[in-house]
Amino acid sequence: MDNNQQSNDQLPGTSHAGIMQPRLPIAKALGKPLLEVKNLSVHFPFYHGSWFRRKRAVVKAVDGVSFTVHEGETLGLVGESGCGKSTTARAVLNLIRPTAGEVSWEGERIEGLSEQRMRPFRQQMQMIFQDPFASLNPRMTVGEIVSEPMRIFRLHDSRRRKLEVVRILDMVGLNPRFLNRYPHEFSGGQRQRIGIARALAVNPRLIICDEPVSALDVSIQAQVVNLLMDLQRQLKLSYVFIAHDLAVVRQISDRIGVMYYGKLVELADAETLYIDPQHLYTKALLSAIPIPDPAVERQRKRLILTDELAALARQ
Amino acid sequence: MTNPLLQVENLAVQFKTDDGTIRAVDGVSFSLQPGETLGIVGESGSGKSVTSLALMGLIPQPPGKVLSGRALFEGTDLLQLSQRQLSKIRGNKIAMIFQDPMTALNPFLTVMEQVSEVTELHLGHTASQARRHAIEMLERVGIPDAARRCNDYPHQFSGGQRQRVMIAMALSCRPKILIADEPTTALDVTIQAQILDLMSDLQRETGTAIILITHDLGVVAGTCHRVNVMYAGRFVEEAPVDTLFANPRHPYTVGLLHSIPRLDVARQPLTPIPGQPPDLADLPSGCAFGPRCVNRIERCSQEVPLLTPQAGGGCAACFNPVDSLTSGAIAMQGMQSLERLDSSGGSHGQ
Repeated sequence: MDNNQQSNDQLPGTSHAGIMQPRLPIAKALGKPLLEVKNLSVHFPFYHGSWFRRKRAVVKAVDGVSFTVHEGETLGLVGESGCGKSTTARAVLNLIRPTAGEVSWEGERIEGLSEQRMRPFRQQMQMIFQDPFASLNPRMTVGEIVSEPMRIFRLHDSRRRKLEVVRILDMVGLNPRFLNRYPHEFSGGQRQRIGIARALAVNPRLIICDEPVSALDVSIQAQVVNLLMDLQRQLKLSYVFIAHDLAVVRQISDRIGVMYYGKLVELADAETLYIDPQHLYTKALLSAIPIPDPAVERQRKRLILTDELAALARQ
Repeated sequence: MTNPLLQVENLAVQFKTDDGTIRAVDGVSFSLQPGETLGIVGESGSGKSVTSLALMGLIPQPPGKVLSGRALFEGTDLLQLSQRQLSKIRGNKIAMIFQDPMTALNPFLTVMEQVSEVTELHLGHTASQARRHAIEMLERVGIPDAARRCNDYPHQFSGGQRQRVMIAMALSCRPKILIADEPTTALDVTIQAQILDLMSDLQRETGTAIILITHDLGVVAGTCHRVNVMYAGRFVEEAPVDTLFANPRHPYTVGLLHSIPRLDVARQPLTPIPGQPPDLADLPSGCAFGPRCVNRIERCSQEVPLLTPQAGGGCAACFNPVDSLTSGAIAMQGMQSLERLDSSGGSHGQ
């Protein structure tokens, strides 16, 4: 049984990697810290009041968030829409300038670096986006999309690049024959694989995945989740995995951070978070997630965040 | 069983597209009993929304066309009615709520204007009656301080509140049927739970039958009495909710259940369904799920399977249905065919 599980547990294109371990995060000793985020804040100013008496206020999109991502680890970030998950990711990558706080990559401070000085770090940290339709240039072929990052970072000569593209496409389960096709010729799941291939093109060590499966159909979500987990094992990647679907986040993560109104309200080992949630919002979130089993659903009690409870949770 | 409230027979809808004519819905039949919640589950493009739009006469023609079918509601065939006749039923006896409450509400009108319009139109309320009724409905769906808030515009409400407003509007005339098309997909999970609870509370009070269209099997498990699983325009499985989850027979249903992580059990590796969803313009011969199916036999590529009764009380459209005892083993086999499929290339949409 166990044996079967292992050998059958492969995604296309990963078969050459030999025997696979079961596709679950294994409780592992934390590697050395790769990315350290301390007290990160992103505040957006906005103006209200009349034209003549404008008042300035700030939205604290991210408010004093601290976490560490270790080598080979997946850190999940969950929270409702607008809680600051994506803004955190963007601030870490310096795509948005943080208002305050520190971001370090292997001990080196990177927050607020100029684009030029940020470059070497960009090669180490790549990103995958939610919408596989919007995040690929429709005028570029798959081959161009995947080789562009190598060109930008001056990796390999042009002949080697072509070989690399073929290797990477194979790794993400895309037939290298598709090299000259355009994104519109692919389904959502395949496009997400192209997005993953593009991120892998520069041999990053950390990939920030911002809702990578939320736009995909259920049957395809599982394919992409499994692919990400296989790639992690093969390439010793670290992930920050952002999603609103706690069940998916738990599937892939070693540790999970829960965000609520810009704050990281809970950070725990993935299993611990489910067994023993501490924060009120985490408890409400866990109790709200529907479970695909009618017998279980009928038994469940929901913790509804009323206005009073929500105010309490925000404190 | 009592007489069904709605009886849909052999509904087929086609669309003309650049890639040719596609059958978005192909021979769908179902019945809806008073007071029940019927789930229609399927992935994007499976035809679940088109089914409901066709019932309400909301298919844009052209490019769409209802090819065949009957939809009997209170002795009349909804598909034969003129737009004028339909508009007397829509929002009155059959109401609908949509996925995105922001685009479904008119941003230029206050919530009051939109909610009261429904009863003025269908129940002949005077302005003040309609206003009272609207406030009552908004209170019922849990809008705090409804008498004051009702003069606000939709953008002044949160996503969850907007969906509550939509529900208030939909239930204003005490419809016999409420069609809810992905009513909680755009909402956060904590809000989703509240909206689903609200819908079942109101159903208990009013006896409205609900057709719930969703892609989320978790939502189905918690709210539906019976479920139809849709794939490529057809119903592939139909069963009472407990049967469907305990003893799924169609390999597609089994595959879906193995694809989703469950929060309440220890983590297990996911077993995805191999391959890609079919292109409706280029469907395989025989069973549309055939190329992705691990239970495929020769007959599957020659004939289209029809819904047939299964042990356990449901129906499945499959020549070689899954024996639930072996479904674990089948899920594992899935991975092997996965490899085969993708290496032979599964390009899409050409």
